[in-house]
Amino acid sequence: MGSGTPPSHPQAQPLSRWLPLQQGEVLKLGLRNLYIVPTGFGWLWLGGALFLQLVGIQTQSNGPVLLSFVMLALELLSLHLTHGQLEGLEVRCGQPEPAFAGETAAYPLIVRVQSACEGLEWCLTPGPLHGVASLGPGEHPLALEWTPQRRGLQRPGPLRLQTTAPLGLFVCWSRWQVPAEQLIYPAPKPGPVRQVPMADWREKTAAAGALAGEGSEEWQDLRPHRRGDSSSRMAWKLLAQGRGAQTKRFQDPRLEPSLLAPDPALPHEEALEHLSDRLCLLHRQGQSYGLALTGLQIAPDRGSSHRDRCLEALALCR
Amino acid sequence: MPLNTVPLNTGPLNAGPVKAGGGWLPWLAMGLLTAAAWGVAPFSVLGALSLTLLVLTALKLREAQQRREFRLVSLLQLVTAGLFGAQQAELGSTLLQGLAVLVALAGLLKLELGGGTNLGTLLRRSGQLVLAALPMALVLFLLFPRLGPFSNLGGLGQFGAAATTGLSTTLEPGTIANLTMDRSPAARVAFPGGGPPPASQRLWRVLVHEHFDGQSWRSLNAGTAGSDATGTDTDGAAGADPNLASSQTPGATQVWLSEPNGLAEVPWSGEGLPLDRHLRRDGQGQLRYSGSVGVRKLYSLAAESSPAAWRRQAATAQDLQMAAGTNPRLETLAAGWRRQGSGGAKAVALAEEWFRQQGFRYSLTNPLLPQTAPLDALLFEQRQGFCGHYASALSALMRAAGVPARVVSGYRGGTWVEPLGGSAFLDLRQSDAHAWSEVWIDGEGWRTVDPTAWVLGGPTTVGNPAADSVHSPLGTAADPSGPLDWLARQWWGLDLAWGEWWLGFDQRSQEMLLQRLLGPYREWAGALLLVAVALTLALGLAVYGWLRRRGEGDHLQQELNQLLRSCARSGLVPQPGETLGQFGRRLRLARPLLGPELEDFVDLLQQQRYGRPGPPQRQGMDRLRRCGQSLRRQLRRSPS
Repeated sequence: MGSGTPPSHPQAQPLSRWLPLQQGEVLKLGLRNLYIVPTGFGWLWLGGALFLQLVGIQTQSNGPVLLSFVMLALELLSLHLTHGQLEGLEVRCGQPEPAFAGETAAYPLIVRVQSACEGLEWCLTPGPLHGVASLGPGEHPLALEWTPQRRGLQRPGPLRLQTTAPLGLFVCWSRWQVPAEQLIYPAPKPGPVRQVPMADWREKTAAAGALAGEGSEEWQDLRPHRRGDSSSRMAWKLLAQGRGAQTKRFQDPRLEPSLLAPDPALPHEEALEHLSDRLCLLHRQGQSYGLALTGLQIAPDRGSSHRDRCLEALALCR
Repeated sequence: MPLNTVPLNTGPLNAGPVKAGGGWLPWLAMGLLTAAAWGVAPFSVLGALSLTLLVLTALKLREAQQRREFRLVSLLQLVTAGLFGAQQAELGSTLLQGLAVLVALAGLLKLELGGGTNLGTLLRRSGQLVLAALPMALVLFLLFPRLGPFSNLGGLGQFGAAATTGLSTTLEPGTIANLTMDRSPAARVAFPGGGPPPASQRLWRVLVHEHFDGQSWRSLNAGTAGSDATGTDTDGAAGADPNLASSQTPGATQVWLSEPNGLAEVPWSGEGLPLDRHLRRDGQGQLRYSGSVGVRKLYSLAAESSPAAWRRQAATAQDLQMAAGTNPRLETLAAGWRRQGSGGAKAVALAEEWFRQQGFRYSLTNPLLPQTAPLDALLFEQRQGFCGHYASALSALMRAAGVPARVVSGYRGGTWVEPLGGSAFLDLRQSDAHAWSEVWIDGEGWRTVDPTAWVLGGPTTVGNPAADSVHSPLGTAADPSGPLDWLARQWWGLDLAWGEWWLGFDQRSQEMLLQRLLGPYREWAGALLLVAVALTLALGLAVYGWLRRRGEGDHLQQELNQLLRSCARSGLVPQPGETLGQFGRRLRLARPLLGPELEDFVDLLQQQRYGRPGPPQRQGMDRLRRCGQSLRRQLRRSPS
């Protein structure tokens, strides 16, 4: 079944709307929260068994009669076997990683299986079904793919867990509103952002910039090695080339930091998306940047944690 | 890490949308169904329906893309197998149909379990499912009320007609000669409580041909496929008595299993009381089966104290009807006999004397008889022929002599087979087809006269080695047979036993079973059925669960536990904290003879448990099992 197609077993869909959605931190599947109905194929199977029964009666032959009863027995057994696949299954959320709006995000789940579970399929409604062949006893991480449309702390739609194993005659399912929220950053879209005047902040940093203390990101110069210098700063390559012991001197590049703010000429959400894109761009370029939002200022800095902090601020900005 | 906690799904982000596809299993099922289609009559209603369904299923499979389409294919395969089962109930065909059902179910399982499951596992799972379903299916099969056929849907025979090899209602020169080349089975008959009749009495009548047009003999009262019993029937079956069942009835002296042949008439000895409600004896001594004729027929006959009524059924004008002038020389000869004596007995004696004087020869390769005066050409020019020729000629001579006569076709002799399993039986092939005459003798009735016995080289001629072989008390002694023939006969024996058991259970058998189970409380049959279904459902679930647990546990741990149990019986128990390697070393010191195999066992087990997974693992598991078995055996032999 390809992506974009609705979940299978449409006969179970109208019913789902009327059945209660499971809530809670942990979903433990059992008689009270599992639902089961015959699939379309299950009804067709019964029709086939009935047809063989009629042929057996008409021809007074035992072969089709027995086969029709075997099919009927398989249908009745399937009712229990399909239900048994999900019974006892325990599902809880993992720790969702932040993601960008408009992009595919992975929502982690942990499935605990008591004995075995076959043909488990899942989807976040609405969405295509995903499945695995079989889950043995133990805990299994699952990653649900979904595409959040809005920034902020978001939860995907209800999770639908279902199986039709072993024969596809019944579909057994349960729906659960996943409890953990996932931090969603604004979708990065290129566009204008506002550069905030930073007079005060510039003065403070000017003195610090004059000192231009030794940084640690990339080395600028060499000087002869002295006792007490860290061996990690030794230019080993030059030493190997026979050019003597040299110590690397590090200094942060003297770049003009910028403080970014939403462009007031644009709608707020759009401006945040442009900011999200600009932050990512500056991060990739290794530049220093800061963020100025209503009631919040983040001083210019670099690095992944700084970027994440800025993006989180964008995601939760009101 | 214990094997049972290794997660099967180690790459959650890679789990994509549900994939469809049954692999090549559906094609394997199609192949098996195609093989099972062998012998299905394509022009019968059911045959045409099942073959069309087979073709449509193959086309659907070819274009199937989605899971629901593959599911539909599996269901169509099951239905097709069932339709074939309605037409062919032989043991071999049934096994093939059953295998096709198993593979079709395995295809369904593959759709649900995913592509990583191998064929052996799928077939095993399929077998487990069928095994779990069988108890309930058998309960329903035995107890669910059986209905009679919907006769308004057309002729039963046409509905289920299958192969049409065999005798024909029109006996023409050469017809039976062609059949003698056909080694396909015609019927099998067992004689519960006794052996076969003497060789001279092994004439199995099927059709009576009373209409003679100067060239061929036709059976006017024969019921072809689809016709019910006609008004010529004289008596019904003793099966009307509810105390008499079909094949399982005590007192049955003949149990017949007749292959499908498109005829309503079935072979019998001419004597005996039918025990099946489908059977009727008509006034000419034909045994007619009113059920579906296109399928195998199982029926029984009981011994009858009085002679069969048909033998005394008075001759009619039809039995004297003669196309005058068609064979003038024959008529002239018969006219002379007519003048010499009166009554059938005298005419038969004169005919036998004349036949023996003429030096007729028995031959299967005759030139075609001419269109005009064919019997004149046979008797006065060619002087060689087959049983059909001589029976035609004698019956025509008798009629020309004013004696009522007719031709009977059926089978003669047969091979007595005593299989290793099951009851002994007489095997009749199409090559045993035979024709003879019946002549009305005043005061006696219809007498069987076989003119083939009067000609030179005939299979029934006294002194003929071929005749002797057939007539030997137990045909197998003189019957030339190789190992393949022997094997084939064992198979026929199984097939007969299967036919008796499988075809024998019908509505009447069910009534008898309910009578035995419930006695006067027949109204509780419905409750009994419901309770039995509930119990067998629980049983099926328990059996399935047990099979799954047994098949998918920790095999390595099971092997180790078995060995440790054997060791414990010998007083060798692992000490607390002792590892497998340490215990193995201690065991080797205590039992030096176990040394090399024990070392292998420990190595293999550790390699299996902690080694790299992959194909060699399976071979290693087999070696581990063999090793464990050998060690346990040695421990049993020397317990201390």
